[in-house]
Amino acid sequence: MQQYDLMIVGGGPGGYVAAIRGAQLGFKTALVEREHLGGVCLNWGCIPTKAMLRGADIAHTLKEAEHFGFTIDNVSFDINKLVQHSRSVASKLSQGVAYLMQKNNITVIDGTASLADKCRLEVTHNGAVTQYNATHIILATGARARNLPNIEIDGDFIWGAREAMTPTALPNNLLVIGAGAIGVEFASMYNDLGTNVTLVEAETRITPAEDIEISQIAEKSFQKRGIKVLTNSLVESVERAGTGSVARINGPDGKQELAFDQVILAVGIRGNIESLGLEKHGVHMDKGFLIADQFGKTNLAGLYAVGDVAGPPWLAHKASHEAVICVEKIAGVDGVKPLNKDRVPGCTYCRPQIASVGLTEAQAAAAGHSTRVGRFNLSANGKALAINEGEGMVKTVFDSNTGELLGAHMIGAEVTEQIQGFGIAQQLEATEQELAHTIYAHPTVSESMHESVLDSLGLSIHQ
Amino acid sequence: MSPDIKAINMPKWGMEMSEGDVTAWHAVIGDQVSAGDDLIDVETSKIVNTVTSPDSGILRAIVADPGETCAVGDLLGVLASADTSNEEIQAFIASRSAGTVAKEVEPAPIVQEPAPAVAEPVQEIALAAPIAPIAAMVSSESTAMATLADGDDDSAVAASPVARRLAAEYGVNLNNISGTGRHGRVSKSDLESAITAAGGVLASVSSVQAPGLTDSKSLADGVDDSNVSASPVARRLAIEYGVNLNNISGTGRHGRVSKSDLENAVTAAGGELIRTNNTASTVVKLGDDSHIKATPVARRLAEELGVNLLECRVSGDRGRVCKADVEAVAARKNKPLAPSIDTSGSITIESPFEPEVLTGMRKTIAGRLQSSKQTAPHFRVQIDAEIDTLLAVRKQINAANSAAKVSVNDFMVKACAAALMQVPAINVQFDGEQVKYFKDADISVAVAVADGLITPIVSSANRKGLIAISNEVRDLATRAKINRLKPSEFVGGSFCISNLGMFGIKQFDAIINPPQGAILAVGTGEQRPVVKEGQLSIATVVSLTLSSDHRIIDGAVAAQFMSILKGYLEQPATMLG
Repeated sequence: MQQYDLMIVGGGPGGYVAAIRGAQLGFKTALVEREHLGGVCLNWGCIPTKAMLRGADIAHTLKEAEHFGFTIDNVSFDINKLVQHSRSVASKLSQGVAYLMQKNNITVIDGTASLADKCRLEVTHNGAVTQYNATHIILATGARARNLPNIEIDGDFIWGAREAMTPTALPNNLLVIGAGAIGVEFASMYNDLGTNVTLVEAETRITPAEDIEISQIAEKSFQKRGIKVLTNSLVESVERAGTGSVARINGPDGKQELAFDQVILAVGIRGNIESLGLEKHGVHMDKGFLIADQFGKTNLAGLYAVGDVAGPPWLAHKASHEAVICVEKIAGVDGVKPLNKDRVPGCTYCRPQIASVGLTEAQAAAAGHSTRVGRFNLSANGKALAINEGEGMVKTVFDSNTGELLGAHMIGAEVTEQIQGFGIAQQLEATEQELAHTIYAHPTVSESMHESVLDSLGLSIHQ
Repeated sequence: MSPDIKAINMPKWGMEMSEGDVTAWHAVIGDQVSAGDDLIDVETSKIVNTVTSPDSGILRAIVADPGETCAVGDLLGVLASADTSNEEIQAFIASRSAGTVAKEVEPAPIVQEPAPAVAEPVQEIALAAPIAPIAAMVSSESTAMATLADGDDDSAVAASPVARRLAAEYGVNLNNISGTGRHGRVSKSDLESAITAAGGVLASVSSVQAPGLTDSKSLADGVDDSNVSASPVARRLAIEYGVNLNNISGTGRHGRVSKSDLENAVTAAGGELIRTNNTASTVVKLGDDSHIKATPVARRLAEELGVNLLECRVSGDRGRVCKADVEAVAARKNKPLAPSIDTSGSITIESPFEPEVLTGMRKTIAGRLQSSKQTAPHFRVQIDAEIDTLLAVRKQINAANSAAKVSVNDFMVKACAAALMQVPAINVQFDGEQVKYFKDADISVAVAVADGLITPIVSSANRKGLIAISNEVRDLATRAKINRLKPSEFVGGSFCISNLGMFGIKQFDAIINPPQGAILAVGTGEQRPVVKEGQLSIATVVSLTLSSDHRIIDGAVAAQFMSILKGYLEQPATMLG
């Protein structure tokens, strides 16, 4: 029987990063993947949706080109070509991962793995079953879309993310159920591409995980664009009606029935924990995800879990960092620290973009901090106005005793590229003083980061 | 004896060694050596090995010269601190062997001289303190002495260098001295006789007279000297120099004439020393070859192949080392030892192979295990144990506890730890002189790694639970394979377990890991026919073999250990106590 020091199940950003780190440290490493290297992120998540959203951005730019003096007639749009672009990017990156596996001498095993015993995997592929011994097994099987009790993704009338990013035609009327990051991105994308979008959220606001002021600006922006936002609302049922469907929505103003060509269900995800043989070995689980300690160890000898399958936040970079921490801990690398969940940034690529890291103002207060908050509206930022993207804000939350940056929240153009500045500040435990004295280049939209910090000190210059 | 003085003695390598031939020293008098430094190359009938320095200090005396044969335990040299006096050192040497006087003692050096880049072809001999300046003793009023001073230029007069120098100092013209040295040369004694005869007073020399000189007029004269006690090298050289050993006073051990005695005498008599290349295994470190003329291709090739141009023949044009010269050296270095000589005259075709020099871990393993096998008299005790009960217990533990993945080998560690507590005589380290009885069982577990093996230690295994041992072994093995063990995790250990069961090996004998006293070799657990109360039955049996060092562990002790170990393995519950 083949023996490996380290075997990883799942080739997404958690799995392949764990494999590479393991190989770097000298472990004899194998990775089992049942579909495509790169996992959901590269193939059916982060990457292709960003490619599609770029198309949506271009649609928006074309619409406002007139403001800049352009008259553009005869704009036609072939959605299949946009989809093709996103698929080819996904494919290229997946091949890139395959190359990285080869470069690092990691054995890639095609097939579906399950736990035959402690430290033993059984892989099934094309009917053949092979067993492997592994001193350490890391599960990085990821997650998939969750269904509602009576509304299930069927890939036809009710789309999940996978279908939503590979449309063959633009729907006229779209219902997006769920206003988390995924729902909000699809709502924004389809709206920019020309679809009528209705966005329904059970919580009191869209993007409920973000700071409340961010949610408010996002909702206002959506409504201005013509996206119908229904918060505090539940979709009770979706029933087929002809080529489309009819949804019964229960909101604060009562019930209503609306017809749609297409429905996207984006109400959350669940871990891929079934069919791994985990139940019979008594691996601890909770609410559909695996329970792992701060270094990725499960309760089973030699078994670890990282990434989406191990719980929130469900972000690729969280998976990658967890993977490195887990592997380094196994290898006995000195000074391995657990992941600090307060330092994991979250980005939403709708328009305007949203990016945040750390505690919201409310969370900071709930945790007992006395805070100093700064804000800066992008409408006062020169560069933002120059590029006609004056919509948005930056909000910084500091601990008034220590000056520690507890959280930063941004909404506006390209903020997803700027949030790393605040992330670095947190990692270095900078205070508002260091940030206030950092020189930001002019003219940049990121100057608003500086201004927000100054505002928290009561030293705003530009507002 | 000054506490600073440390003896370098002839070690005993192997049970049969009684003496060794000193072939080369790696240090010269005055060198600072550190404990463990390679010091003296010694050849025995079995091996060529290098004596390492037992301690740190300055090499103050070399008692055994290259070419000399010394018994095990003999004094070879002396280390001391800089401020230990010569007398103390001489006294120490004398105390080691009655009547022996150190031939060469260096007064405490003030400045340490850097080691020469190229080994001296001739063993460097420390000179005795130079002859003290001669006080003016020639009475200017003595006419006889004044006569001795007169004469023409005497530089053509045949005289020994010593005589010539002394003559100058005394102010004596060599033309006035009749020489009785070899070929009629003026020797020192001739000079001194003349001076005394002329009424002069010979200068008092504050140091010991240059050793090796006798009053004999000619070194070649004398009766048959085959009975003279001399080192083999001295004897051989004496023949070469044409010197009669009766004329040399020996300062070697037991009054033997040593090579340096001989050479001093030869030099004092004005002879020239025969310079021989020391072909012993002193390290010849070649220096900078950037000044050697070579073709550009040859130079670059030499760098690539790690060849020093100084080693190359010069056969290129314009007196340059060429590519073929570099290749020749490289080929010679990679060549296997003496190719077989085919007397039948047909062509021997060599099988292609990949040469690889032993490095690092492999070299260490090779050295240690060779030394272990040769030093420790291994004897083996073998026993079989039925492990069906153990396997059932193992299953039970693993099923009951999700965090547990206990293997048969983990049980072995636990059982050995328990057995070692019962038979402490096995739980030992032995360095050749002292036996250390360990209170706890620090069990080394052999782990195969790429290119070799390493033995991480489960310390105090007797105090640890089975699951804890299991987790620790898994962690140690994980880190061992990627070379991430701390030294404290693999240096030491009082007992070792080597398990080849996973390869299906039925039984094997392991080599003891020095300085431990024993090692247990575990085979595979397999179904075998067993006889129980006269009936044939089947059981899962594992063969265990204990290799022990018979210097410190006796058969009965080893047997007792194995019996107790078998008991624990066959009835694991008894380990719970």
